[in-house]
Amino acid sequence: MAGIDVGGHGGKRATNHEIPLIPFIDFLLCLVAFLLVTAVWSQMARLNADARVPGPPKDEPPEEIKKEKQLHVEMRGDRKFQLIWKEGNTVVNTIDLDKKQVPIGDKGDYRYPDLAKKISEEWNSNGSHRAPTDTKLDQAVLHTDNSTPFSDIVAVIDAIYTPKRDFTFGGKTDKVPSFNVTFSVN
Amino acid sequence: MSEKPLSRFHQPIAVPGRRLLHHVPLKFVRKKVAGGGQRSVNQEIPLIPFIDFLLCIVLFLLASFSASGELPIDKNVKLPNAENVMDMTDAPMVAITGTHILVDGNPAGSTRAIEESNRMQRVDELFNVLKNKRELWKQLNPAKEFPGVVVLQVDRRVQALVVKSVFQTAAFAGYPNVSFMVGRLPKTE
Repeated sequence: MAGIDVGGHGGKRATNHEIPLIPFIDFLLCLVAFLLVTAVWSQMARLNADARVPGPPKDEPPEEIKKEKQLHVEMRGDRKFQLIWKEGNTVVNTIDLDKKQVPIGDKGDYRYPDLAKKISEEWNSNGSHRAPTDTKLDQAVLHTDNSTPFSDIVAVIDAIYTPKRDFTFGGKTDKVPSFNVTFSVN
Repeated sequence: MSEKPLSRFHQPIAVPGRRLLHHVPLKFVRKKVAGGGQRSVNQEIPLIPFIDFLLCIVLFLLASFSASGELPIDKNVKLPNAENVMDMTDAPMVAITGTHILVDGNPAGSTRAIEESNRMQRVDELFNVLKNKRELWKQLNPAKEFPGVVVLQVDRRVQALVVKSVFQTAAFAGYPNVSFMVGRLPKTE
């Protein structure tokens, strides 16, 4: 057992004290058991999307919205994706891409690595918001069929979020997705 | 003629063994002080490294402790998985299971009307529930700006039409930052 020896003789009370280690260990074991029982081992996460609806009215005059290039991802049809860069209503560039699903795991998940690669290349050559201090993100608009299953939508959003860029906020730099995704209502 | 001492190679071989305190003539004293030639049966358990180990476990578990508990996931919802994800946030949870819509576990409408009409439309019940939640939040936090975040818990088989309708309903109820709850896939390079 652990003890503290500080000497001490000559008819005085003993100054050697035993630290009660056994109750301390019992306490620690109880604490470990409690924390293990209440621990949450969650693998849940989220994919962000922006609805881009107007906010509540403000007293200040609205900011002038600059026309920027937006990447429209068309996932209509079973065979192809179409990536369209638009500036306002003007089509700047159109790229067709085969729809190649790559299954992942045994739960029926799949990815589109070719789409992710192409979107990364497109952002590298056409992305507008690259500076770490730029608080805005490039906009991607997702067009889907009404019958597309949600798992397919998630696979495409995941591909759109593949390119990352530095983002400095409050003196701290993090990697964030280069695009912000929104849905097309049409 | 003096006798020449034996070299060390010619000395009789001594039996190896313990020497210390073995010369004591009294047998019972010798046995006590020399330990009887056996190893001591009293063993010290190394408690200090054990306590260090326990403290490390406690610190790790405390660091990963979540006071808010587990995220409520409906049993009928099978979530898709994704790689490029963000950590979960504390926000109202809208679950779509089959034809039911739940907000934080409470019923808030049905998707049947959307499926039957086959066109995007606002889910009025969901709109009202979310609007009330937003107003309550604003009353409780008058000085803060409303974050407008809502998390959608959508089954992987649900059609895009339903997802888009719920998405727009949430946006018009004052929650423009919509997140989709997914499982986390390990990163592939």
